[in-house]
Amino acid sequence: MSVHSNPVVSVRGLSKSFVGKTVVSGVTFDLFAGEALALVGENGAGKSTTKNMLCGLLTPTTGTILVNGQTVPKVIGAEHGISAVHQELSLFGSLSVAENICISDLPGAKMRVDWAAAERIAQEQIAFLGIEIDARALVETLGAGKQQIVEIAKALLHASKVLILDEPTTSLTAVEREKLFVIIDKLKARGLAIVFISHFMEEIYRVCDSFVALRDGCQVGQGRLAEVSQRSLEEMMVGRTLEDARVNLAAPSQTPALEVRGLSSSDFKDINLTVHRGEILGIAGLMGAGRTEIAEAIFGLRAAVGEVRIDGKAVPRDVSAMMASGLCYVTEDRRKNGLFLNRPVRENLSAAHIAGFVQRKLRGFGFRGEKARAHDLVSDMNISVPHIENNVSDLSGGNQQKVMLGRWLATNPEILIFDEPTKGVDIGAKFDIHEKIAALAATGKAIIIVSSDLPELLHITHRMLVMRKGRIVGEFLRSDFDSVKIISLAASSNEGGQDAA
Amino acid sequence: MPRILTLLKTYPALVIVVALAIGFSVLSPHFASSGNIEAMLGANAVVMIAAVGMTVVFLAGGIDLSISTVISASAVISGLAMAATGSVALGAAVAVAVGLGFGALNGVLIGFFQLTPFITTMATQLIARGVAFVMSAGIAVKGTPFWMLDFGFVQWFGIPAVTVISLMIVGLAGVAMTQTTWGRQVMLVGSNVDAARFSGIHVPWVTFSVYLFSGALGGIAGFISIANLGNAIPGVGDTLLLIIIGAVVLGGTGMAGGEGSIGRTVLGVAILAILTNGLNLIGIPFYDQLIIQGVLIFIGTWMATRFGNRRDA
Repeated sequence: MSVHSNPVVSVRGLSKSFVGKTVVSGVTFDLFAGEALALVGENGAGKSTTKNMLCGLLTPTTGTILVNGQTVPKVIGAEHGISAVHQELSLFGSLSVAENICISDLPGAKMRVDWAAAERIAQEQIAFLGIEIDARALVETLGAGKQQIVEIAKALLHASKVLILDEPTTSLTAVEREKLFVIIDKLKARGLAIVFISHFMEEIYRVCDSFVALRDGCQVGQGRLAEVSQRSLEEMMVGRTLEDARVNLAAPSQTPALEVRGLSSSDFKDINLTVHRGEILGIAGLMGAGRTEIAEAIFGLRAAVGEVRIDGKAVPRDVSAMMASGLCYVTEDRRKNGLFLNRPVRENLSAAHIAGFVQRKLRGFGFRGEKARAHDLVSDMNISVPHIENNVSDLSGGNQQKVMLGRWLATNPEILIFDEPTKGVDIGAKFDIHEKIAALAATGKAIIIVSSDLPELLHITHRMLVMRKGRIVGEFLRSDFDSVKIISLAASSNEGGQDAA
Repeated sequence: MPRILTLLKTYPALVIVVALAIGFSVLSPHFASSGNIEAMLGANAVVMIAAVGMTVVFLAGGIDLSISTVISASAVISGLAMAATGSVALGAAVAVAVGLGFGALNGVLIGFFQLTPFITTMATQLIARGVAFVMSAGIAVKGTPFWMLDFGFVQWFGIPAVTVISLMIVGLAGVAMTQTTWGRQVMLVGSNVDAARFSGIHVPWVTFSVYLFSGALGGIAGFISIANLGNAIPGVGDTLLLIIIGAVVLGGTGMAGGEGSIGRTVLGVAILAILTNGLNLIGIPFYDQLIIQGVLIFIGTWMATRFGNRRDA
């Protein structure tokens, strides 16, 4: 350990629970002026929650935050000099750069805004960052890189002590990224403490001095980056040797069920993949790698060019044609485009196959068979709900996800694409869902699982494709699964796929 | 007791209907007379039919501002057809066809071209109103066949025939919404249009069909207005729009979609009908009535939020 002055901000035993579920527990670290700390961990490890507690967006359930050695009950960013640049940009496209930078504290007297002063302040901030941007330009006219700079300039206005950068490079080109690193060096030299969150290991080693590793909400390691190898840091993040926990999957057949040939769009390029009957294929990659876009394009929800074959026959990429051919897609965002929240569980279960729930005697008329069918699905899927007439919004995340699964199983699909099947789902429901998926594969269904949860893919898939920036960059068979290799392949910032296994 | 709560949850407007009915029965001896009830029913057939159309559009998450002047345009064109040929059957067919035409226009623009329902149907409202006044030269269409004039006073099963027709439409629409695949699709599109698309529901067609449906009901309402008033009046629908929307909302069908029912709208129409009729009977001046109506709409909306199904999205 190097010799330090006093930390500017200290975090002691920080924990956060949401409705009884602990998402972060016991996080402890110090931030020093002029140093950058890397917050590393997989998706869902608790990085965002920790970040939000640090900048005052969330109040910790337990634990304390000390600023200059003083305990603060709740962080107020502007007052304590802590500011964050969040992963999703929070700029107003139709306002000027100056307006965006000064938005939380417009200069001027009483009701009148001093626009000249606002422009001057904004221009000073930008000039300090060493980038040419006109403070009067509208933000929407700037490229992603410059927008990121505006976002940083805006945060800097209040970041007298700590600046938090959450995945700041995802939308940047290689050149812009390098410029950003120079800026970060400058800010460190100015005496700011930086908290840097990134999936990219190279960036972390380039920018940061120390690290805190999180896994499943717990702090699993911390120290100086100079003293830890990239490989052992990655192992820390991935954690437990999951080989032990793997389920025994039945061997897949050699009959292709779904073949995708040369599928391309603005989000992904030249995707070729095949899933066989009884096989579970995983698609791994970071957020923004284009996985959901591919799944939606296959199902006909998104424009793309290329061919999709089911049982050897080309099928037009149109939702009804795909459904008629036995394909189904279970969305990653069940609240946005999955559930009918103000409708009962019964209607949510029958939504994808309304005609199939109608009693035979009177075609297209009457729903007398629906209740029995819904009850069957509820018990089959092990959904815990007081009554099928309850609104689906009353259910927990896990049970909502089971409703989504039940809805699609009711269509008797042959090929199932699951997008983040266990996102926001508790352990018990996760287990049920995994078991259900394995059972489906055992009966000869072909399955694709898109997931950011690598342990999940290691656990439940026969084969895994790794995606990066819209391309498939690697393929692993279950016997060769190596989480560290997969992570570094998905997160590598090398262009092209030559490093594929 | 829980059964009453369930009933209130399903039909939050029921309390107001019952309270108003009892209140006016006490205040005016004429209110509960069979003659008055018949008059009330007959006078509100047009609003009832149009409100059913509006309800279905609301349930799908849209709005049809054109329904009021589609009533006018179909009344005028139907009236002209009847005056020219003397055929009531042709008049009815023309009224429905005009309604379907405007409905199809709305449906294509909103369903397939994805224009905003509010602006699109506002434009259609203007066009329909213009058509009604241009084709009638701004005056009531003369030459309504005698059968049609008589029809406004005909009774079936002891109630006005126009009321029977409006109740049949209520029944058919209720069945369509609760018992058919189409009705379910309308509810799901209104509840969450993205989820509907992800579930394989053809959203453009469902949206189109909903506006076609409300257009057709606007046409039927226009035809009924001729029977009620004796002539096709070009301005007949002009003042009806807010009454129609008010009735639907007061009944407890939300404007956000996926929540409400035809049955609720029947109660909403009943509230406004009883209120207007009752206040007239006890001699409250027109402008004072407006104030009372406004206050009542506040109360109704509050009741719908308080006792109706909780909305979560």
